Amino acid sequence: MKKVSLFGLGAGLLAALTFTSEPAFAQQSTLDIVKSRGQLRCQLGTPAPGWYELSDSGKWSGFDVENCRAVAAAVFGDPDKIEYQSVTSAVRFTAMANGESDMLSRTTTWTLFRDTQLGLDFTTVSFYDGQGFMVKKDMGIKSALELKGATVCVLTGTTTELNLTDYSRTNDLGMNAVVFEDSNVRDNTFFTNGCDAITNDKSSLASTRAKAPDTSIFTILPETISKEPLGPVVRQNDSQWKDIVLWSVFAMVQAEEFGITSANIDKVIAETTNPEIKRMMGVEGDLSKGLGLDPKWAYNIIKTVGNYGENYEEFMGEKTVMNIPRAGSPNALWTNGGMMYSPPFR
Amino acid sequence: MAELMHDDAVFRPKPSLPPPPNTVGVVGWLRKNLFGGPFDTLMTVVGATLIVYFGHKLFMYGVVNAVWEAESYRECLDITGGDGACWAGVDRWMSNYIYGRYSVDERWRVNLGFIVLAVWLAPFWFPRVTQKILVGVSAVLTFPFLAANLFLGGDPGLFLEVMTAIALTCFAAVWLNVAACYAGYKSVGVVIVRVSGFADKDDRMHKWVLLGAFGVGFVLAFLYQSTWDLAEVPTVNWGGLFLTLVISGIGISSALPAGVILALGRRSKMPVIQVFCTAFIELFRSVPLITILFMAVTMMPLFLPVSINPDKLVLVIIAVCIFAAAYMAEIVRGGLQAINKGQYEAAQAMGLNYWKMMTLIIMPQALKLMIPNIVGNFMGLLKDTTLVSIIGLYDILLMTKASGQDPKWLGMHTEPMLFAAAVFFVMCFCMSKYSQHLEKTIGGGYGRR
Repeated sequence: MKKVSLFGLGAGLLAALTFTSEPAFAQQSTLDIVKSRGQLRCQLGTPAPGWYELSDSGKWSGFDVENCRAVAAAVFGDPDKIEYQSVTSAVRFTAMANGESDMLSRTTTWTLFRDTQLGLDFTTVSFYDGQGFMVKKDMGIKSALELKGATVCVLTGTTTELNLTDYSRTNDLGMNAVVFEDSNVRDNTFFTNGCDAITNDKSSLASTRAKAPDTSIFTILPETISKEPLGPVVRQNDSQWKDIVLWSVFAMVQAEEFGITSANIDKVIAETTNPEIKRMMGVEGDLSKGLGLDPKWAYNIIKTVGNYGENYEEFMGEKTVMNIPRAGSPNALWTNGGMMYSPPFR
Repeated sequence: MAELMHDDAVFRPKPSLPPPPNTVGVVGWLRKNLFGGPFDTLMTVVGATLIVYFGHKLFMYGVVNAVWEAESYRECLDITGGDGACWAGVDRWMSNYIYGRYSVDERWRVNLGFIVLAVWLAPFWFPRVTQKILVGVSAVLTFPFLAANLFLGGDPGLFLEVMTAIALTCFAAVWLNVAACYAGYKSVGVVIVRVSGFADKDDRMHKWVLLGAFGVGFVLAFLYQSTWDLAEVPTVNWGGLFLTLVISGIGISSALPAGVILALGRRSKMPVIQVFCTAFIELFRSVPLITILFMAVTMMPLFLPVSINPDKLVLVIIAVCIFAAAYMAEIVRGGLQAINKGQYEAAQAMGLNYWKMMTLIIMPQALKLMIPNIVGNFMGLLKDTTLVSIIGLYDILLMTKASGQDPKWLGMHTEPMLFAAAVFFVMCFCMSKYSQHLEKTIGGGYGRR
């Protein structure tokens, strides 16, 4: 906290010298700021397939982008009222702290340190990821525990490197890490047999595999050596805004559980007798009051953005370059044995 | 008299023998330059082997095995198996490498802006045009505002509107001046004064007339630009080569004047100015550019109240300008120190004051000496601007990286980098060639020897 107070002192001094107003995000609620601006400022990373893709026509799309679009749909009824801020991971948290971004949705792992020491609040988990290994099939390896003495390509400066060393030491595997700064160089080294295995979050391994000249010769090993729960992040001390982001994600999960999609939503609402659906979609009751949103907020999300399963299929599913199977993974609905679970809408 | 002499009494030089055949022509050149001795021969063979080997590889990769038409990188890979370049993807992303995420329908504004700049600066190279300094100064001081208004669109605010009008007036004045010069007058000012009928009045009156003419032009330009109705393109969407040129262009054009001022300040005898300039130069020269960029983009907003919401791009440009000025200051100081003390003393003996001495005697000589260093610094700055990709501005480098993350072109990595390298090579090579040309034309006897 020492650093923060030092910056605070500097900020105070400068503010006193020039203007006598405090940072507005400290007083005004984020919802008010977003509404008066007319746009949600949502922070993404630099383009990554599946998560946040930048097309050659300059449009953003992706699994994490859908979280932003859901929040914009909830607040404005229009998922396109967003200013996307694509920043490198080095400055992601400062861009939140200085009020530049309203929310962050960019494969950021929820850890205790980040949740408590950076002035941030993690909302919920929208994707359960975990670190794994990928090898060539012809090595005949079935388990990561067989990688004794193997050279492993890994990116530097991330927890990935730390996890690898920990795993190697715990299981006495004596792995040699080959460290890279750039993921393209790492991938090319792996493809040209520069290392026996490559390690990263499993979703990233999927996109690495998709880059290879021949994708069929690689296999991702079953072991998951770390927990990487990913989800949207907001600034600390604004519980209303946190609730909005949190429940926007829940709405997509709950809609999938109800079997509501962007295509059938109007039909379902017209025909349903389920009071929970009616409450959720703003037909009955005043559930939206606490959020400070339009009663139709959840309807707008599902209608314009879609439910969780639709988004998964579109960006992570088997028809995409990512091709991460959902069945049997923690990202399946709890009713299918996964961990995607929304608290009730009542 | 000639007929009296015998032919054989006159010394007639025989025509000299031709040089040995192995020292002339192609063979001679080869012997002299490539195969002068065993060591030379060895070096030639090794060098030629390397050139042929890598040249062949590059040619096979970039031309023979390359794919020019494809819908995705996967398709390219299926055709080449990774042995050839996939230029189809570069082609598909080309307009993004140049304009970034600038709205497609609005890209004509970027083109227009750069055309205006080129037309504005063109009179520099017209031999009969006078007042060339004013052409440069007006472009450097006012064009950035015109460009900002044009590129940004939306509601520019009064300040930008006024500056735009001034810029338009200056632009018109520059070209009226060209017309006047080619019509045989000394400058457009002379024409205006003559037309106004105050030609027989004194100089002060002339100044007022010119100011009045500028005012009329300004009002017309202001009315004209207020009819503009441009869609807003926020700076987050600026990118590609366009953004690189915006940042480095402003950095380069502000570096020299700021550097000159800082260098003079550092050599000044006034302690406050001297200490300030020295501290400024030493501080920003000792810190890496990336640190300054981080400070500007992430720390500055923490220190400012939110009511002032500085644009990220503006902060970056300021940071680049500061950095470039600090480096330039030391180059200029080096140039100043190369000027003989006698020049200063001679100027003072002629009764010139400090500013006249500097602008008329010292600086022209010093700047000539500094051309190679200055251009080298500009080239460095142009390349350094790629660092802004680290803080998330989509310059050409980050755009090329982004294209390889597009699911359709996933894995396209080498090709965009080669393209970016080619772009930077062309730009820097042009700058280098132009600087050599400048040295020859204005460097006089002090140029390259």
